Amino acid sequence: MALVRSELQKLFTTRLWWIMLIVMLLFTGLNLGFLIGFAGVEGTQGAPGLPGRETLAFQQSAWTAGAGSSIFVMVLGIIMMTSEYRYQTITTTFLATPRRSRVVTAKLVAGLLVGLLFGVAALLLTAAAVIPSVLIAGGEVALLDGGIPRIMLGVVATSALYTLFGIGLGALVRNQIAAVVGAIVWVFVVESLLAAVPALQTVGKFTPSGAARSLIAVQIDSGFGQADLLPSWAGASVLVAYALIFALIASLTTVRRDIT
Amino acid sequence: MTAIEIRNLSKTFGPVRAVDDVSFSVESGTVTGYLGPNGAGKTTTLHCLLGLVTADGGTALVNGRPYSALERPLAEVGAVLEATSFHPGRTARDHLRVICTAAGLPASRADEALEQVGLAGSAGKRVAGFSLGMRQRLALGTATLGHPRVLILDEPANGLDPAGIEWLRGFLRTLAHEQGVAVLVSSHVLSEVQQTVDNVVIIARGRLVHQGSLEELTGNGDRPVRVHAADAARLVPALEARGARVERPADGVLRVHGVGAEAVGQAVLDEGVLVTELVRERSDLQEIFMELTREK
Repeated sequence: MALVRSELQKLFTTRLWWIMLIVMLLFTGLNLGFLIGFAGVEGTQGAPGLPGRETLAFQQSAWTAGAGSSIFVMVLGIIMMTSEYRYQTITTTFLATPRRSRVVTAKLVAGLLVGLLFGVAALLLTAAAVIPSVLIAGGEVALLDGGIPRIMLGVVATSALYTLFGIGLGALVRNQIAAVVGAIVWVFVVESLLAAVPALQTVGKFTPSGAARSLIAVQIDSGFGQADLLPSWAGASVLVAYALIFALIASLTTVRRDIT
Repeated sequence: MTAIEIRNLSKTFGPVRAVDDVSFSVESGTVTGYLGPNGAGKTTTLHCLLGLVTADGGTALVNGRPYSALERPLAEVGAVLEATSFHPGRTARDHLRVICTAAGLPASRADEALEQVGLAGSAGKRVAGFSLGMRQRLALGTATLGHPRVLILDEPANGLDPAGIEWLRGFLRTLAHEQGVAVLVSSHVLSEVQQTVDNVVIIARGRLVHQGSLEELTGNGDRPVRVHAADAARLVPALEARGARVERPADGVLRVHGVGAEAVGQAVLDEGVLVTELVRERSDLQEIFMELTREK
Protein backbone atom coordinates (compact mmCIF):
# COMPACT_ATOMS: atom_id res chain seq x y z
CA MET A 1 0.00 0.00 0.00
CA ALA A 2 2.86 2.37 0.85
CA LEU A 3 4.31 1.64 -2.58
CA VAL A 4 1.03 2.46 -4.31
CA ARG A 5 0.85 5.75 -2.41
CA SER A 6 4.44 6.48 -3.41
CA GLU A 7 3.57 5.84 -7.07
CA LEU A 8 0.54 8.14 -6.88
CA GLN A 9 2.74 10.77 -5.23
CA LYS A 10 5.22 10.43 -8.09
CA LEU A 11 2.46 11.12 -10.60
CA PHE A 12 0.84 14.00 -8.77
CA THR A 13 4.08 15.85 -8.00
CA THR A 14 4.84 16.45 -11.68
CA ARG A 15 2.86 18.35 -14.28
CA LEU A 16 2.20 15.43 -16.59
CA TRP A 17 -1.10 14.29 -15.02
CA TRP A 18 -3.02 17.51 -15.39
CA ILE A 19 -1.64 18.18 -18.87
CA MET A 20 -2.87 14.73 -19.90
CA LEU A 21 -6.18 15.34 -18.13
CA ILE A 22 -6.74 18.59 -20.04
CA VAL A 23 -5.78 17.01 -23.36
CA MET A 24 -8.08 14.07 -22.67
CA LEU A 25 -10.99 16.38 -21.76
CA LEU A 26 -10.38 18.56 -24.82
CA PHE A 27 -10.46 15.53 -27.08
CA THR A 28 -13.60 14.21 -25.40
CA GLY A 29 -15.12 17.68 -25.70
CA LEU A 30 -14.32 17.75 -29.40
CA ASN A 31 -16.05 14.39 -29.88
CA LEU A 32 -19.07 15.62 -27.96
CA GLY A 33 -19.19 18.85 -29.91
CA PHE A 34 -19.23 16.91 -33.15
CA LEU A 35 -21.95 14.55 -31.93
CA ILE A 36 -24.14 17.34 -30.60
CA GLY A 37 -23.55 19.67 -33.51
CA PHE A 38 -24.38 17.15 -36.19
CA ALA A 39 -27.16 15.39 -34.27
CA GLY A 40 -30.31 15.00 -36.34
CA VAL A 41 -28.66 16.42 -39.46
CA GLU A 42 -29.66 14.39 -42.47
CA GLY A 43 -26.96 12.95 -44.65
CA THR A 44 -26.70 13.69 -48.36
CA GLN A 45 -29.49 12.33 -50.56
CA GLY A 46 -31.73 12.00 -47.53
CA ALA A 47 -29.70 9.20 -45.95
CA PRO A 48 -30.17 8.94 -42.19
CA GLY A 49 -27.44 10.89 -40.34
CA LEU A 50 -26.70 10.94 -36.65
CA PRO A 51 -29.73 10.45 -34.35
CA GLY A 52 -31.49 13.57 -33.16
CA ARG A 53 -30.77 15.12 -29.78
CA GLU A 54 -34.13 14.16 -28.32
CA THR A 55 -33.61 10.44 -28.98
CA LEU A 56 -32.25 7.77 -26.71
CA ALA A 57 -29.88 6.66 -29.47
CA PHE A 58 -28.23 10.10 -29.34
CA GLN A 59 -27.69 9.79 -25.61
CA GLN A 60 -26.29 6.32 -25.98
CA SER A 61 -23.70 7.36 -28.52
CA ALA A 62 -22.86 10.62 -26.71
CA TRP A 63 -22.12 8.86 -23.45
CA THR A 64 -19.44 6.77 -25.16
CA ALA A 65 -17.46 9.87 -26.11
CA GLY A 66 -15.06 9.43 -23.17
CA ALA A 67 -13.93 6.03 -24.40
CA GLY A 68 -12.43 7.61 -27.50
CA SER A 69 -9.81 9.26 -25.34
CA SER A 70 -8.32 6.05 -24.05
CA ILE A 71 -5.16 6.63 -26.09
CA PHE A 72 -4.33 9.46 -23.68
CA VAL A 73 -4.56 7.37 -20.52
CA MET A 74 -2.56 4.71 -22.30
CA VAL A 75 0.19 7.25 -22.99
CA LEU A 76 -0.07 8.37 -19.36
CA GLY A 77 0.48 4.76 -18.26
CA ILE A 78 3.43 4.39 -20.62
CA ILE A 79 5.03 7.55 -19.28
CA MET A 80 4.39 6.56 -15.63
CA MET A 81 6.67 3.60 -16.28
CA THR A 82 9.18 4.83 -18.85
CA SER A 83 9.96 8.21 -17.27
CA GLU A 84 11.63 6.28 -14.46
CA TYR A 85 14.10 4.96 -17.00
CA ARG A 86 14.32 8.21 -18.90
CA TYR A 87 15.30 10.23 -15.83
CA GLN A 88 17.08 7.31 -14.14
CA THR A 89 14.85 7.65 -11.11
CA ILE A 90 14.42 3.90 -11.45
CA THR A 91 17.73 3.57 -9.56
CA THR A 92 16.33 5.32 -6.49
CA THR A 93 13.06 3.42 -6.84
CA PHE A 94 14.82 0.05 -6.88
CA LEU A 95 17.12 1.06 -4.01
CA ALA A 96 14.04 1.71 -1.87
CA THR A 97 12.30 -1.43 -3.13
CA PRO A 98 14.83 -4.02 -4.31
CA ARG A 99 12.09 -6.53 -5.16
CA ARG A 100 11.32 -5.11 -8.56
CA SER A 101 8.11 -6.99 -9.27
CA ARG A 102 6.60 -5.18 -6.28
CA VAL A 103 7.36 -1.86 -7.96
CA VAL A 104 5.62 -2.99 -11.15
CA THR A 105 2.61 -4.23 -9.15
CA ALA A 106 2.37 -0.94 -7.26
CA LYS A 107 2.47 0.96 -10.54
CA LEU A 108 -0.32 -1.20 -11.98
CA VAL A 109 -2.54 -0.56 -8.96
CA ALA A 110 -1.77 3.17 -9.01
CA GLY A 111 -2.46 3.25 -12.76
CA LEU A 112 -5.80 1.52 -12.27
CA LEU A 113 -6.84 4.20 -9.76
CA VAL A 114 -5.67 7.05 -11.99
CA GLY A 115 -7.45 5.51 -14.97
CA LEU A 116 -10.69 5.31 -12.96
CA LEU A 117 -10.28 8.97 -12.06
CA PHE A 118 -9.77 9.98 -15.68
CA GLY A 119 -12.78 7.90 -16.73
CA VAL A 120 -14.96 9.65 -14.14
CA ALA A 121 -13.66 13.04 -15.28
CA ALA A 122 -14.63 12.19 -18.87
CA LEU A 123 -18.12 11.16 -17.70
CA LEU A 124 -18.57 14.41 -15.78
CA LEU A 125 -17.70 16.40 -18.88
CA THR A 126 -20.08 14.27 -20.93
CA ALA A 127 -22.88 14.83 -18.43
CA ALA A 128 -22.30 18.58 -18.55
CA ALA A 129 -22.69 18.54 -22.32
CA VAL A 130 -25.32 15.87 -22.92
CA ILE A 131 -27.91 16.66 -20.26
CA PRO A 132 -28.45 20.30 -21.26
CA SER A 133 -28.53 19.53 -24.97
CA VAL A 134 -31.13 16.79 -24.46
CA LEU A 135 -33.24 19.09 -22.30
CA ILE A 136 -33.02 21.92 -24.79
CA ALA A 137 -34.11 19.59 -27.58
CA GLY A 138 -37.09 18.63 -25.43
CA GLY A 139 -36.02 15.04 -24.96
CA GLU A 140 -36.10 12.97 -21.79
CA VAL A 141 -32.79 12.55 -19.99
CA ALA A 142 -31.99 8.89 -19.48
CA LEU A 143 -29.40 8.20 -16.80
CA LEU A 144 -30.46 4.94 -15.19
CA ASP A 145 -32.11 3.19 -18.10
CA GLY A 146 -31.66 2.62 -21.81
CA GLY A 147 -28.30 0.91 -21.19
CA ILE A 148 -26.71 4.20 -20.10
CA PRO A 149 -25.33 2.89 -16.74
CA ARG A 150 -23.61 0.08 -18.60
CA ILE A 151 -22.07 2.50 -21.05
CA MET A 152 -20.82 4.70 -18.17
CA LEU A 153 -19.31 1.69 -16.46
CA GLY A 154 -17.74 0.69 -19.75
CA VAL A 155 -16.13 4.12 -20.22
CA VAL A 156 -14.62 4.10 -16.73
CA ALA A 157 -13.44 0.51 -17.09
CA THR A 158 -11.90 1.22 -20.49
CA SER A 159 -10.01 4.18 -19.07
CA ALA A 160 -8.71 2.18 -16.10
CA LEU A 161 -7.70 -0.83 -18.18
CA TYR A 162 -5.98 1.25 -20.86
CA THR A 163 -3.82 2.85 -18.18
CA LEU A 164 -2.87 -0.64 -17.01
CA PHE A 165 -2.17 -1.61 -20.58
CA GLY A 166 0.12 1.43 -20.97
CA ILE A 167 2.07 0.58 -17.83
CA GLY A 168 2.56 -3.01 -18.92
CA LEU A 169 3.71 -1.86 -22.35
CA GLY A 170 6.03 0.75 -20.82
CA ALA A 171 7.63 -1.82 -18.53
CA LEU A 172 8.26 -4.05 -21.51
CA VAL A 173 9.68 -1.42 -23.88
CA ARG A 174 11.38 0.96 -21.36
CA ASN A 175 12.22 3.47 -24.11
CA GLN A 176 9.65 6.23 -23.77
CA ILE A 177 9.57 7.44 -27.36
CA ALA A 178 9.54 3.94 -28.80
CA ALA A 179 6.70 2.91 -26.51
CA VAL A 180 4.54 5.98 -27.21
CA VAL A 181 5.12 5.89 -30.97
CA GLY A 182 4.50 2.14 -31.01
CA ALA A 183 1.24 2.58 -29.09
CA ILE A 184 -0.01 5.32 -31.41
CA VAL A 185 0.85 3.39 -34.57
CA TRP A 186 -0.87 0.35 -33.09
CA VAL A 187 -4.05 2.18 -32.15
CA PHE A 188 -4.43 4.37 -35.23
CA VAL A 189 -3.08 2.10 -37.93
CA VAL A 190 -3.12 -1.56 -36.99
CA GLU A 191 -6.24 -1.59 -34.87
CA SER A 192 -8.23 0.64 -37.19
CA LEU A 193 -7.55 -1.77 -40.02
CA LEU A 194 -8.37 -4.82 -37.94
CA ALA A 195 -11.59 -3.25 -36.71
CA ALA A 196 -12.79 -1.91 -40.04
CA VAL A 197 -12.22 -4.84 -42.37
CA PRO A 198 -14.86 -7.53 -41.74
CA ALA A 199 -12.54 -10.35 -42.71
CA LEU A 200 -10.17 -9.24 -39.97
CA GLN A 201 -12.77 -8.59 -37.29
CA THR A 202 -12.40 -12.05 -35.82
CA VAL A 203 -8.86 -10.93 -34.93
CA GLY A 204 -9.85 -7.32 -34.36
CA LYS A 205 -12.23 -8.07 -31.53
CA PHE A 206 -9.32 -9.44 -29.52
CA THR A 207 -7.23 -6.27 -29.84
CA PRO A 208 -7.33 -3.82 -26.91
CA SER A 209 -9.62 -1.39 -28.68
CA GLY A 210 -11.83 -4.18 -30.01
CA ALA A 211 -12.13 -5.44 -26.46
CA ALA A 212 -12.80 -1.91 -25.23
CA ARG A 213 -15.59 -1.45 -27.77
CA SER A 214 -17.34 -4.51 -26.45
CA LEU A 215 -17.31 -2.87 -23.00
CA ILE A 216 -19.30 0.12 -24.17
CA ALA A 217 -21.24 -2.00 -26.68
CA VAL A 218 -21.62 0.77 -29.15
CA GLN A 219 -22.94 -0.49 -32.45
CA ILE A 220 -20.93 1.40 -35.01
CA ASP A 221 -22.00 0.76 -38.54
CA SER A 222 -18.79 1.10 -40.48
CA GLY A 223 -20.53 0.39 -43.74
CA PHE A 224 -19.59 -3.24 -43.65
CA GLY A 225 -22.48 -4.32 -41.44
CA GLN A 226 -22.63 -5.00 -37.72
CA ALA A 227 -19.24 -5.15 -36.01
CA ASP A 228 -18.29 -8.52 -34.59
CA LEU A 229 -17.58 -8.00 -30.89
CA LEU A 230 -16.90 -10.06 -27.79
CA PRO A 231 -19.32 -10.15 -24.84
CA SER A 232 -18.42 -7.36 -22.43
CA TRP A 233 -17.09 -9.65 -19.69
CA ALA A 234 -14.75 -11.22 -22.22
CA GLY A 235 -13.74 -7.78 -23.46
CA ALA A 236 -12.75 -6.73 -19.94
CA SER A 237 -10.83 -9.97 -19.46
CA VAL A 238 -8.97 -9.44 -22.72
CA LEU A 239 -7.88 -5.93 -21.64
CA VAL A 240 -6.82 -7.12 -18.18
CA ALA A 241 -4.97 -10.00 -19.78
CA TYR A 242 -3.05 -7.65 -22.09
CA ALA A 243 -1.94 -5.51 -19.15
CA LEU A 244 -1.00 -8.45 -16.94
CA ILE A 245 0.75 -10.43 -19.66
CA PHE A 246 2.81 -7.38 -20.65
CA ALA A 247 3.62 -6.64 -17.00
CA LEU A 248 4.51 -10.27 -16.34
CA ILE A 249 6.75 -10.58 -19.38
CA ALA A 250 8.32 -7.25 -18.43
CA SER A 251 8.94 -8.41 -14.86
CA LEU A 252 10.72 -11.47 -16.19
CA THR A 253 12.76 -9.63 -18.83
CA THR A 254 13.33 -5.89 -19.10
CA VAL A 255 12.62 -5.03 -15.47
CA ARG A 256 15.16 -7.61 -14.34
CA ARG A 257 17.93 -6.17 -16.44
CA ASP A 258 21.00 -4.55 -14.96
CA ILE A 259 20.70 -0.86 -14.14
CA THR A 260 23.94 0.67 -15.32
CA MET B 1 31.96 -4.75 12.69
CA THR B 2 32.14 -5.58 9.00
CA ALA B 3 29.49 -3.52 7.24
CA ILE B 4 30.35 -4.26 3.63
CA GLU B 5 31.91 -7.46 2.44
CA ILE B 6 32.79 -8.14 -1.16
CA ARG B 7 34.17 -11.56 -1.96
CA ASN B 8 35.53 -12.71 -5.34
CA LEU B 9 33.09 -10.46 -7.17
CA SER B 10 33.09 -10.69 -10.98
CA LYS B 11 30.97 -9.09 -13.67
CA THR B 12 31.35 -9.17 -17.45
CA PHE B 13 29.61 -6.83 -19.87
CA GLY B 14 29.90 -8.39 -23.32
CA PRO B 15 33.61 -8.76 -24.01
CA VAL B 16 34.61 -6.50 -21.11
CA ARG B 17 35.51 -7.98 -17.77
CA ALA B 18 34.38 -4.96 -15.75
CA VAL B 19 35.03 -6.47 -12.32
CA ASP B 20 37.43 -9.37 -11.99
CA ASP B 21 37.61 -11.34 -8.74
CA VAL B 22 37.51 -8.33 -6.43
CA SER B 23 37.44 -8.82 -2.64
CA PHE B 24 37.52 -6.24 0.13
CA SER B 25 35.60 -5.21 3.21
CA VAL B 26 34.60 -2.00 4.97
CA GLU B 27 34.36 -1.71 8.76
CA SER B 28 31.88 0.43 10.69
CA GLY B 29 33.23 3.78 11.78
CA THR B 30 35.72 4.08 8.95
CA VAL B 31 35.88 5.86 5.63
CA THR B 32 37.20 3.70 2.83
CA GLY B 33 38.24 5.23 -0.46
CA TYR B 34 37.52 3.10 -3.52
CA LEU B 35 39.94 4.43 -6.08
CA GLY B 36 40.78 3.82 -9.68
CA PRO B 37 40.85 5.53 -13.05
CA ASN B 38 37.62 6.01 -15.00
CA GLY B 39 36.34 2.70 -16.32
CA ALA B 40 38.26 0.66 -13.74
CA GLY B 41 35.10 -1.05 -12.49
CA LYS B 42 34.25 1.06 -9.43
CA THR B 43 30.68 1.87 -10.39
CA THR B 44 29.97 -1.72 -11.47
CA THR B 45 31.20 -2.97 -8.09
CA LEU B 46 28.94 -0.54 -6.25
CA HIS B 47 25.95 -1.39 -8.47
CA CYS B 48 26.48 -5.10 -7.75
CA LEU B 49 26.62 -4.30 -4.04
CA LEU B 50 23.30 -2.41 -4.28
CA GLY B 51 21.50 -5.11 -6.25
CA LEU B 52 21.16 -2.94 -9.36
CA VAL B 53 23.45 -5.21 -11.35
CA THR B 54 23.53 -8.99 -11.05
CA ALA B 55 27.07 -10.26 -10.52
CA ASP B 56 28.35 -13.18 -12.58
CA GLY B 57 30.20 -14.60 -9.63
CA GLY B 58 31.14 -13.96 -6.02
CA THR B 59 29.14 -12.22 -3.31
CA ALA B 60 28.54 -8.66 -2.20
CA LEU B 61 26.99 -8.32 1.26
CA VAL B 62 25.77 -5.38 3.32
CA ASN B 63 25.40 -6.10 7.03
CA GLY B 64 25.91 -9.76 6.18
CA ARG B 65 23.10 -10.01 3.63
CA PRO B 66 22.62 -9.31 -0.07
CA TYR B 67 21.00 -5.92 -0.62
CA SER B 68 17.82 -7.44 -2.06
CA ALA B 69 17.31 -9.41 1.17
CA LEU B 70 17.29 -6.32 3.41
CA GLU B 71 13.92 -5.72 5.05
CA ARG B 72 14.14 -1.93 5.12
CA PRO B 73 17.04 -1.16 2.79
CA LEU B 74 17.02 2.63 3.15
CA ALA B 75 17.25 2.35 6.94
CA GLU B 76 20.39 0.24 6.56
CA VAL B 77 22.14 1.56 3.48
CA GLY B 78 22.29 4.98 1.85
CA ALA B 79 23.65 5.40 -1.65
CA VAL B 80 24.69 8.37 -3.76
CA LEU B 81 24.95 7.36 -7.41
CA GLU B 82 24.72 9.50 -10.54
CA ALA B 83 23.83 13.09 -9.82
CA THR B 84 21.25 13.17 -12.59
CA SER B 85 18.75 10.67 -11.23
CA PHE B 86 15.94 13.09 -10.43
CA HIS B 87 12.78 13.97 -12.31
CA PRO B 88 13.47 17.55 -13.44
CA GLY B 89 9.84 18.60 -12.96
CA ARG B 90 9.62 17.50 -9.33
CA THR B 91 10.64 19.70 -6.43
CA ALA B 92 13.44 18.66 -4.08
CA ARG B 93 11.01 18.18 -1.19
CA ASP B 94 8.60 16.10 -3.27
CA HIS B 95 11.46 13.97 -4.53
CA LEU B 96 12.37 13.07 -0.96
CA ARG B 97 8.75 12.63 0.12
CA VAL B 98 8.10 10.10 -2.63
CA ILE B 99 10.99 8.04 -1.30
CA CYS B 100 9.89 8.50 2.33
CA THR B 101 6.50 7.05 1.42
CA ALA B 102 7.98 4.07 -0.42
CA ALA B 103 10.44 3.37 2.41
CA GLY B 104 7.90 3.81 5.20
CA LEU B 105 9.66 6.84 6.65
CA PRO B 106 7.78 9.85 8.06
CA ALA B 107 7.35 12.69 5.53
CA SER B 108 9.01 15.06 8.01
CA ARG B 109 12.35 13.37 7.25
CA ALA B 110 12.35 15.10 3.86
CA ASP B 111 12.72 18.59 5.34
CA GLU B 112 15.18 17.40 7.98
CA ALA B 113 17.40 15.86 5.32
CA LEU B 114 17.24 19.01 3.17
CA GLU B 115 18.26 21.05 6.19
CA GLN B 116 21.17 18.69 6.84
CA VAL B 117 22.60 19.06 3.34
CA GLY B 118 22.03 22.81 3.19
CA LEU B 119 19.15 22.81 0.70
CA ALA B 120 16.34 23.95 3.01
CA GLY B 121 16.04 27.19 1.01
CA SER B 122 15.49 25.32 -2.27
CA ALA B 123 13.06 22.69 -0.98
CA GLY B 124 10.16 23.93 -3.07
CA LYS B 125 12.13 24.43 -6.29
CA ARG B 126 12.01 22.08 -9.25
CA VAL B 127 15.18 20.04 -9.66
CA ALA B 128 15.49 21.21 -13.29
CA GLY B 129 16.93 24.48 -11.99
CA PHE B 130 19.51 22.85 -9.73
CA SER B 131 23.25 23.07 -10.33
CA LEU B 132 25.32 19.91 -10.35
CA GLY B 133 26.51 20.72 -6.83
CA MET B 134 22.94 21.12 -5.58
CA ARG B 135 22.01 17.80 -7.18
CA GLN B 136 24.89 16.13 -5.37
CA ARG B 137 23.65 17.59 -2.10
CA LEU B 138 20.13 16.40 -2.85
CA ALA B 139 21.49 12.95 -3.66
CA LEU B 140 23.27 12.96 -0.30
CA GLY B 141 20.03 14.02 1.38
CA THR B 142 18.29 11.12 -0.36
CA ALA B 143 20.94 8.70 0.88
CA THR B 144 20.66 9.79 4.51
CA LEU B 145 16.83 9.80 4.71
CA GLY B 146 16.64 6.56 6.66
CA HIS B 147 19.60 7.27 8.99
CA PRO B 148 21.57 4.37 7.47
CA ARG B 149 24.60 2.82 9.16
CA VAL B 150 26.25 2.20 5.81
CA LEU B 151 26.84 4.89 3.22
CA ILE B 152 27.97 4.21 -0.34
CA LEU B 153 28.97 7.11 -2.58
CA ASP B 154 29.99 7.01 -6.23
CA GLU B 155 32.17 10.00 -7.21
CA PRO B 156 30.31 12.36 -4.86
CA ALA B 157 32.80 15.18 -5.38
CA ASN B 158 31.95 15.51 -9.09
CA GLY B 159 30.50 18.93 -9.71
CA LEU B 160 31.19 20.25 -6.23
CA ASP B 161 33.17 23.46 -5.88
CA PRO B 162 36.15 23.53 -3.47
CA ALA B 163 33.93 24.74 -0.61
CA GLY B 164 31.48 21.94 -1.39
CA ILE B 165 34.24 19.34 -1.37
CA GLU B 166 35.45 20.65 1.99
CA TRP B 167 31.89 20.45 3.34
CA LEU B 168 31.53 16.90 2.01
CA ARG B 169 34.76 15.82 3.72
CA GLY B 170 33.53 17.11 7.06
CA PHE B 171 30.11 15.53 6.52
CA LEU B 172 31.60 12.08 5.81
CA ARG B 173 34.18 12.25 8.62
CA THR B 174 31.52 13.20 11.17
CA LEU B 175 29.25 10.38 10.05
CA ALA B 176 32.03 7.79 10.24
CA HIS B 177 34.12 8.86 13.21
CA GLU B 178 31.40 10.26 15.48
CA GLN B 179 28.35 8.25 14.50
CA GLY B 180 30.09 5.00 13.58
CA VAL B 181 28.76 4.85 10.04
CA ALA B 182 30.67 2.73 7.51
CA VAL B 183 31.45 4.91 4.49
CA LEU B 184 32.60 3.63 1.10
CA VAL B 185 33.42 6.45 -1.30
CA SER B 186 34.66 6.02 -4.84
CA SER B 187 36.79 8.51 -6.71
CA HIS B 188 39.15 8.70 -9.66
CA VAL B 189 41.10 11.52 -8.04
CA LEU B 190 43.14 10.45 -5.03
CA SER B 191 43.71 13.96 -3.73
CA GLU B 192 39.94 14.44 -3.44
CA VAL B 193 39.60 11.78 -0.76
CA GLN B 194 43.16 11.69 0.58
CA GLN B 195 42.29 13.85 3.60
CA THR B 196 39.08 11.98 4.37
CA VAL B 197 39.77 8.29 4.08
CA ASP B 198 41.14 5.87 6.65
CA ASN B 199 41.62 3.03 4.19
CA VAL B 200 42.04 2.74 0.49
CA VAL B 201 41.08 0.07 -1.99
CA ILE B 202 42.57 0.59 -5.43
CA ILE B 203 41.21 -1.04 -8.55
CA ALA B 204 42.51 -0.94 -12.11
CA ARG B 205 41.08 -2.71 -15.17
CA GLY B 206 38.64 -4.56 -12.94
CA ARG B 207 41.29 -6.02 -10.65
CA LEU B 208 42.23 -5.08 -7.12
CA VAL B 209 45.74 -3.64 -6.96
CA HIS B 210 45.98 -2.45 -3.37
CA GLN B 211 44.03 -2.62 -0.15
CA GLY B 212 45.11 -1.16 3.17
CA SER B 213 45.56 2.00 5.18
CA LEU B 214 46.71 5.21 3.59
CA GLU B 215 50.00 4.98 5.57
CA GLU B 216 50.70 1.55 4.14
CA LEU B 217 50.34 3.01 0.71
CA THR B 218 52.78 5.83 1.34
CA GLY B 219 55.08 3.61 3.38
CA ASN B 220 55.66 1.38 0.41
CA GLY B 221 57.64 4.04 -1.38
CA ASP B 222 61.31 4.86 -0.87
CA ARG B 223 61.53 8.34 0.64
CA PRO B 224 64.85 9.92 -0.36
CA VAL B 225 66.53 12.85 1.39
CA ARG B 226 66.97 15.99 -0.68
CA VAL B 227 70.03 18.14 -0.04
CA HIS B 228 70.65 21.59 -1.47
CA ALA B 229 74.29 22.70 -1.18
CA ALA B 230 76.46 24.86 -3.41
CA ASP B 231 79.35 22.45 -2.90
CA ALA B 232 77.21 19.33 -3.16
CA ALA B 233 79.85 17.31 -5.00
CA ARG B 234 82.04 17.14 -1.89
CA LEU B 235 79.30 15.27 -0.02
CA VAL B 236 78.95 12.43 -2.48
CA PRO B 237 81.95 10.27 -1.40
CA ALA B 238 81.07 10.69 2.29
CA LEU B 239 77.48 9.64 1.65
CA GLU B 240 78.46 6.68 -0.49
CA ALA B 241 80.86 5.57 2.23
CA ARG B 242 77.81 5.36 4.50
CA GLY B 243 76.06 3.04 2.03
CA ALA B 244 73.87 5.63 0.34
CA ARG B 245 72.96 5.75 -3.32
CA VAL B 246 73.19 9.33 -4.57
CA GLU B 247 71.37 10.97 -7.48
CA ARG B 248 72.25 14.42 -8.80
CA PRO B 249 69.09 15.69 -10.47
CA ALA B 250 70.47 19.23 -10.83
CA ASP B 251 73.50 21.33 -10.03
CA GLY B 252 73.81 21.76 -6.27
CA VAL B 253 71.03 19.24 -5.55
CA LEU B 254 71.41 15.68 -4.28
CA ARG B 255 68.78 13.00 -3.78
CA VAL B 256 70.07 10.49 -1.29
CA HIS B 257 68.51 7.03 -1.21
CA GLY B 258 69.01 4.22 1.29
CA VAL B 259 69.96 6.17 4.40
CA GLY B 260 68.03 8.34 6.84
CA ALA B 261 68.11 12.11 7.26
CA GLU B 262 70.27 11.75 10.36
CA ALA B 263 73.03 9.94 8.45
CA VAL B 264 72.97 12.65 5.78
CA GLY B 265 73.19 15.34 8.47
CA GLN B 266 76.17 13.58 10.01
CA ALA B 267 77.95 13.51 6.63
CA VAL B 268 77.27 17.23 6.19
CA LEU B 269 78.71 17.93 9.65
CA ASP B 270 81.78 15.75 9.03
CA GLU B 271 82.53 17.36 5.66
CA GLY B 272 81.80 20.90 6.88
CA VAL B 273 79.67 21.71 3.83
CA LEU B 274 77.27 24.68 3.85
CA VAL B 275 73.75 23.32 3.31
CA THR B 276 70.78 25.49 2.42
CA GLU B 277 68.16 22.77 2.56
CA LEU B 278 67.97 19.25 3.90
CA VAL B 279 64.62 17.58 3.77
CA ARG B 280 63.11 14.12 3.68
CA GLU B 281 60.99 14.05 0.55
CA ARG B 282 57.30 13.38 1.02
CA SER B 283 56.22 10.53 -1.13
CA ASP B 284 53.74 11.68 -3.73
CA LEU B 285 50.51 9.74 -3.26
CA GLN B 286 49.23 10.69 -6.67
CA GLU B 287 52.42 9.29 -8.20
CA ILE B 288 52.05 6.02 -6.31
CA PHE B 289 48.43 5.89 -7.37
CA MET B 290 49.36 6.48 -11.01
CA GLU B 291 52.08 3.84 -10.77
CA LEU B 292 49.66 1.27 -9.34
CA THR B 293 46.92 1.88 -11.87
CA ARG B 294 49.06 2.40 -14.98
CA GLU B 295 48.20 0.42 -18.11
CA LYS B 296 50.64 -2.43 -18.33
